[in-house]
Parts: sequence; structure tokens; C-alpha cells
Amino acid sequence: MIKLKRTRLEPQVSAGSMADIAFLLLIFFLVATKFIEDRGLLMQLPPDVPPTDTPIRERNLFKIRINSQNQFLVENKVRQNLDGLIEEIKLFVLNPKNDPTLAEAPHKGIISVKAQRGTKYAYFIETLDLIKEAYYQIYGERVGLSSAEYRRLNRDNPLENEKYLRGKEGLPMNISIAEPDKIK
Amino acid sequence: MKFRKKITQKPEISTASMPDIVFLLLFFFMVTATIDRSQDQLKVQVPQARAITKIQKKFLIKELHVGFPKDPVLGSSPRISTEDRIISITDLGNWVQEQKTELGEAYKDQMIVMLKADVDVDMGLIGDIQVELRKHNARKVLFRTLEVAY
Repeated sequence: MIKLKRTRLEPQVSAGSMADIAFLLLIFFLVATKFIEDRGLLMQLPPDVPPTDTPIRERNLFKIRINSQNQFLVENKVRQNLDGLIEEIKLFVLNPKNDPTLAEAPHKGIISVKAQRGTKYAYFIETLDLIKEAYYQIYGERVGLSSAEYRRLNRDNPLENEKYLRGKEGLPMNISIAEPDKIK
Repeated sequence: MKFRKKITQKPEISTASMPDIVFLLLFFFMVTATIDRSQDQLKVQVPQARAITKIQKKFLIKELHVGFPKDPVLGSSPRISTEDRIISITDLGNWVQEQKTELGEAYKDQMIVMLKADVDVDMGLIGDIQVELRKHNARKVLFRTLEVAY
């Protein structure tokens, strides 16, 4: 028997356009995606329980009020801007000279922010930011870092985590953000 | 005297691995990013701040936008929206419950509500949102801000 030799044509897919297809997909995903933005000021709200009357000594309270004309009332003094607030909060919390009008102990100091209805959100955030910055500066100073360096500490790294914990040890950010008042 | 002509060969870079590189990039983007569904109806210009922190567990973040409607039909007072849907303050409780079930039992108490609010929004509304969130035990709030450029 004669064996018929058939010449087989190997089918081939050209891979030349692969890169183009991949580029097209890549561009689609580049355009259609967004990264979750995850930076901001984190706050823990108080639980929703009827308020209990916990006596807080006046000296342990640092009061900041913002009214609907966007004026500030810091420790009962009217102000148009918040220049120097960071230094004041640091002085209030740490109270290095044991001033009887400032916080008894760093962990006892409470910063209270209250905004009236009609206040712009921007002013509230500005105030909150300054308070947090003041606390971060304190934390940073305790471990010999600047506030920005302190916030950048990577908590997955045991060495840096230790610094992070040491910085804030026994000194929680006592920030109270009360609900806005009705305009009287 | 004539020397033998040198055969100059043009150096060429192989482009054979180009698709691989591109695919790698493609996969990176596919994995790291989520599709942006919100063609937002609200104008939101977030405020700037310095003392900002980054959230490690991104999946805990649930977004809430507060801003002024772009469409005049919706009025000019600030509104709340989530995933491109305008919701009223009374719907907020349901929304919190929905998001919590989505997160599952293990993480539902760690949910972080990201409040992306416009600089000009009235604090009254922000306060109402906070009250509503407290009622439904979603007490971690992240005030979304941009970093101040030094």
C-alpha cells in the first residue's frame, strides 16, 4: 500500500496584535478605575446613649466654639482666626508649669469643639485639623519625631510600631465634637 | 588601500516580551483598582488638612458624599449621595445596615464611614449625619480631606 503523504498546514495565530489588544484593555482600566481615597481625619463618635452627667472640671476643658458667622470663641475669647491654636493646645494639654487654669494631667485634658448650625464645614475641619496636629506634635516629640514623621510610622514594622505606641501611650486624643446647636 | 567594509548590524531590541509587560501592568490595574461607578451628581470640593492619616484596611471604608447638586432640578441645598444615588437623611439608617451586612459579621463593627463633604456645606447637616450614624452604631468617621501642599 502506498502511504499518502499529506502536507499538513500548521494553523498559526499571529501574536503580533496581542500587545495592541493588551494596551487597549490597559487604557480602558486606567481610565475607568479610581483608587480608593483613604486619607482624612478619623474620628470616633460617642455611643448613642443618653448623656450622663460626668463632672468635668472646668480647667480640664478647652472649649472651641464656632458660630454661623464663622467666628471662633476659644476659651471664651472671640477670635477671627485660629493662629497659634496649636501652641495653645499643646500648652493646655501638657501644662509644663502646672498652671491651675490648664489641664490637670495630659490625659485629662479634653478639647471640645462645637459648631453652630450655619457654620461652614471648612471651618470645622480647619479646627479639627489644628487640634489633631497639636496632638500629633506632642506624640512626635515624645519619640523624637516631627508630627508628619510620626503619622508616617508604619505599624507593620515592629520597630516603628513600638515608637507609634510609645508616642501615644497614656495620652488619648480627647476631642469632643458635639452636635451643632440650633441658631438661637 | 581599501579595507574590508565592516558589516554594520543594526542593534535591535526584541519586542517579543512587550505583551507580557503590558499584561502585567494590566493585571496590576485590574487588581488594585475598583471601577468608578459614581458619575457624581454632587459638586464636592473637599477641604484641606495637615494632620491626616491613612486607613490601612481599605475594605472597611464606605463612602458618603455631601455636596451641592449639579442639577438645578434637585435644588440648591446640600444633599447626601452614595454610589450615585441621592439619599435623604432618613435613609441613612438603612444604608448603614446595608453596608454592615455587606461587610459581614466579623467586620461590621469596624466599618468606617468616609464623609466626603464640600467645604461650603452647613455644619447642621454634618451634625445630623453624625447623630444618625451614632444611632445606628457606625461610629468611625473619616472626614475626607486633601493634604495641604507645603
